[in-house]
Amino acid sequence: MIKNYIKIAWRNLKRNKAYASISVIGLALGIACGILIFTLITYHLSFDTFHKDSDRIYRLYTEWHDDGIGKSNGVPQPLGKAFRNDFTIGEKTARVINFTGTLITITKGNDVKKFQEDNGVAFTEPEYFDILNFPLIKGDKKTVLVAPGEAIVTEKIAHKYFGNDNAIGKVFRLDNKVNFTITGILKDLPNNTDRRQEIYVSYGNMDEYTGNKRRENNWGGVYSGSEAFTKLKKGVTQAQIDATTAQLVKKHYVGRDLKVWFFKLQPLNDMHFNPELNGYADKKYLWALFFIGLFLIITACVNFVNLATAQALNRAKEVGVRKVLGSLPVHLFWQFIAETTLITLVALIVAIGLSYAALPAINHLFQSEMDFNIGELSVFVVLTSIAVIFLAGSYPGLVLARFRPIQALKSKLSQKDIGGFSLRRVLVVTQFTISQVLIIGTIIIISQLHYSQTADLGFNKDAIVMLPIPKNDKATLSTLKNRFTEIQGVEHVSYCFRAPASQSNNTTGVNFNHRAEDEHWSINTKTADENYLATFGLKLVAGRNFFPTDTTREFVVNESVARKLNMKPQDLIGKTLSINGKSTSAPIVGVVRDFYNYSFHSEISPICIMPNYNGYSTVAIKMNMRNAKATLASFEKVWNQTFPEEFYSYEFLDDSIKKFYELDNTLLTLIEAFAGIAIAIGCLGLYGLVSFMAVRKTKEIGVRKVLGASITAVLWVFGKEFAILLLIAFVIASPLAYWAMHNYLKDFQYRIPIGPAIFFESILFTFVVAAITVSYRSILAALANPVKSLRSE
Amino acid sequence: MLSLQHISKYYQVSGLKNYVLNDLSLEVDEGEFISIMGPSGSGKSTLLNVIGMLDDPSDGYHYFAGHAVHQLKEKQRSALYKQYIGFVFQAYHLIDELTVYENIETPLIYQDFKSSERKAMVADILDKFNIVGKKDLFPAQLSGGQQQLVGIARALIAKPKMLLADEPTGNLNSKQGEEIMELFRKLNREDKVTIIQVTHSEKNAEYGTRIINLLDGKIASSKKL
Repeated sequence: MIKNYIKIAWRNLKRNKAYASISVIGLALGIACGILIFTLITYHLSFDTFHKDSDRIYRLYTEWHDDGIGKSNGVPQPLGKAFRNDFTIGEKTARVINFTGTLITITKGNDVKKFQEDNGVAFTEPEYFDILNFPLIKGDKKTVLVAPGEAIVTEKIAHKYFGNDNAIGKVFRLDNKVNFTITGILKDLPNNTDRRQEIYVSYGNMDEYTGNKRRENNWGGVYSGSEAFTKLKKGVTQAQIDATTAQLVKKHYVGRDLKVWFFKLQPLNDMHFNPELNGYADKKYLWALFFIGLFLIITACVNFVNLATAQALNRAKEVGVRKVLGSLPVHLFWQFIAETTLITLVALIVAIGLSYAALPAINHLFQSEMDFNIGELSVFVVLTSIAVIFLAGSYPGLVLARFRPIQALKSKLSQKDIGGFSLRRVLVVTQFTISQVLIIGTIIIISQLHYSQTADLGFNKDAIVMLPIPKNDKATLSTLKNRFTEIQGVEHVSYCFRAPASQSNNTTGVNFNHRAEDEHWSINTKTADENYLATFGLKLVAGRNFFPTDTTREFVVNESVARKLNMKPQDLIGKTLSINGKSTSAPIVGVVRDFYNYSFHSEISPICIMPNYNGYSTVAIKMNMRNAKATLASFEKVWNQTFPEEFYSYEFLDDSIKKFYELDNTLLTLIEAFAGIAIAIGCLGLYGLVSFMAVRKTKEIGVRKVLGASITAVLWVFGKEFAILLLIAFVIASPLAYWAMHNYLKDFQYRIPIGPAIFFESILFTFVVAAITVSYRSILAALANPVKSLRSE
Repeated sequence: MLSLQHISKYYQVSGLKNYVLNDLSLEVDEGEFISIMGPSGSGKSTLLNVIGMLDDPSDGYHYFAGHAVHQLKEKQRSALYKQYIGFVFQAYHLIDELTVYENIETPLIYQDFKSSERKAMVADILDKFNIVGKKDLFPAQLSGGQQQLVGIARALIAKPKMLLADEPTGNLNSKQGEEIMELFRKLNREDKVTIIQVTHSEKNAEYGTRIINLLDGKIASSKKL
């Protein structure tokens, strides 16, 4: 019996190639998206799950409760040590302090090789490797990193630096300051970890490297690269944790700081999903993806049901004959399930092919190295297929099995018998609701990104090249500046810590005008020379720029400072500002217009700009782009002559600003793709529906034409129907989309309004696409000769 | 073998009963060959469908091979008719996607015959109807007469006691029609198959052993030949 089912299913599909391909393509697209989304979700959920006792592993982090709540994944450097030595709830605790943009030099005879690692170098206490599961393949786990001067690197790094030579015992120099001997090789990092460091060096060399012994006891500052991990003892309660962290604060802070500083423990499984603490992305994006995937599969099933039931009339005779020949409804039901199974299997094969083809693109998009996990994926695929088969197959199966044989044989079945036209309407409305939500989402994300990339940032980001400054002694800086200025095409040169908008920031407490109490907000300090304003086009609204100098004698602040103080900008001029625990005090001489110092996701901070040559780590060069290639080459030459031991790199400011919106761009590409697919599936369904309508209305159209109807009048028979369906879908989709996108935009401090134009664009777009889909088939129907269509009745 | 008592079939149209069969009673014995005649709309096909259990009467009693059909459930009825009744249609109603062989085999599949048995039975009937050479063709590749032959072979494959034919020669030319009627006569006489056919043709009606004339859902006359 099964053989018979499959045989007839196969022959039916071969005969109705158009129907079969529409169904297969629709389902394949839906399932392929399902597979990719599943892979994406499981990949992100798998982050750092491979550590032993991962439920007991935490990272200590800092919170400041003042005017608002600030958070950092970093902690004061001594915190880890205090937590380990003074308290008992931790089984193992390790500090790991990471420096990025570091230079590694390897000398072999006269041959000097320089490397720069994006993921940086981490000064690490050996317990780190007892907490997290990064196994050594060479070296003794008990002794590595215990003594100063040791380093461990991954296989990949060892191979990169030393080729096939044994890396153990080899020496490298870090930032031309400290030598390290490699004593262990780590297995290469798995893809699914956020702990990306590949070079670990002994914690004991920290002071030597930074040249600053005070760091080890500095409770007042937090460097975001300074992290502390702990594995708690079994059975430690939240109350014990709270008590411990409270005592830490009590012991090491006094006065107002007691109410400001908080330390907390972040569980390992939260780290990937907490953007506030340097995590990759909020889990809500995964949920959004999950629902998009689910919707796409539902749309594909809806499509299938739609087409299959429309197709059912053509199968009526067969069903009638089978019933007369003794088939029970249950036989017929299973026959159609078998047919659906066949279509689903073909679609599945196509979908798997599509997924394999699309995975590299997705990996490129997310800059990840996902792979299909065959085990998990096959469970997903089998379950999805079964769900699809029954979701899509049972309704047409039931409809067909229910046919009354006599009517079926006489072709007297009406729309009522095949589930009615209204059901199909509901299905099409469902599909178009889903596509319109996605279209509106796409339009809003595009508009927001466009806004953030073209809006006035308050500073000039074009044609500015940023070069690192590895050393800042006065003599070198002044020579370098002169040499840069001489290069043709250079307009301004400014030394600074970072650009006006940067992911790297220094924040400190602030005292204004010798007030008794410090302000309850902190200030973002931008160390920069007197050319900063000119280079970045910052506009003064009051006062003047500071005079050229090497140390902080005057401040320029932004309007937000005035706003925080509830004063007019001009009233700030001449008042004293104290920062860094009152160690730096100077008068305010100018106020600049506010500029966006982060992405549009964050609010503009109060900012002060002051010169201090010790703090310069970047030189910003405003150049003329007309002869950019030659100018850039000159930069490299001058730089390499000035810093022969260092590693040259440059970046355009607008590129680094784009990085603020990396996740948004990724999301945009994804949602565009999914919206496209949803529309494609929807159109397939629409095409199926209009074909069905054309067949059903042959007689009506024939009669109308005989009665004198024009082609346009006949087309309106179809047009009216679909216009109404799309409008209904739009009415349902709009509030849903509004709600979803309102939530998305909430993440932006500066955002576009959701205006009616967006909805108008969406429905216009859908109308055009739908009209194109519907027109071919309906024009064909409208042009048919009425004599022919009436005779066939 | 078949007994219909006071059978009525009507459709309710805005409160009025519109009778297709009106208090009709009919006894059929085993081995009879009955031709039902009558003008369009007299209820011939409905009567045949009621006998074939494809349609339920609105009123009346229906006995078949000792079973009270009007009391049976759908499943039992289906089992009963699978076993006893074969159907032949004016439009042949072969399944287009199946070959001749597969069309004939289908009823056996629904009656759970084993594969080897099915093979033997289909081979047997193909041989008997002289269509062995056509077994792998699809219906569209056959002439009308040949298609009807396949239709009859399919109706007979499960060895039913009764063959119901709704204008079996309606779509055929007179020569093909005659051949089909000869075949019916032979089946009736040699294989003792009870046959009830609906026909418009006086000539074809005379192949039967009894002619029943219907008018307005009632038996107007009945004549034994």
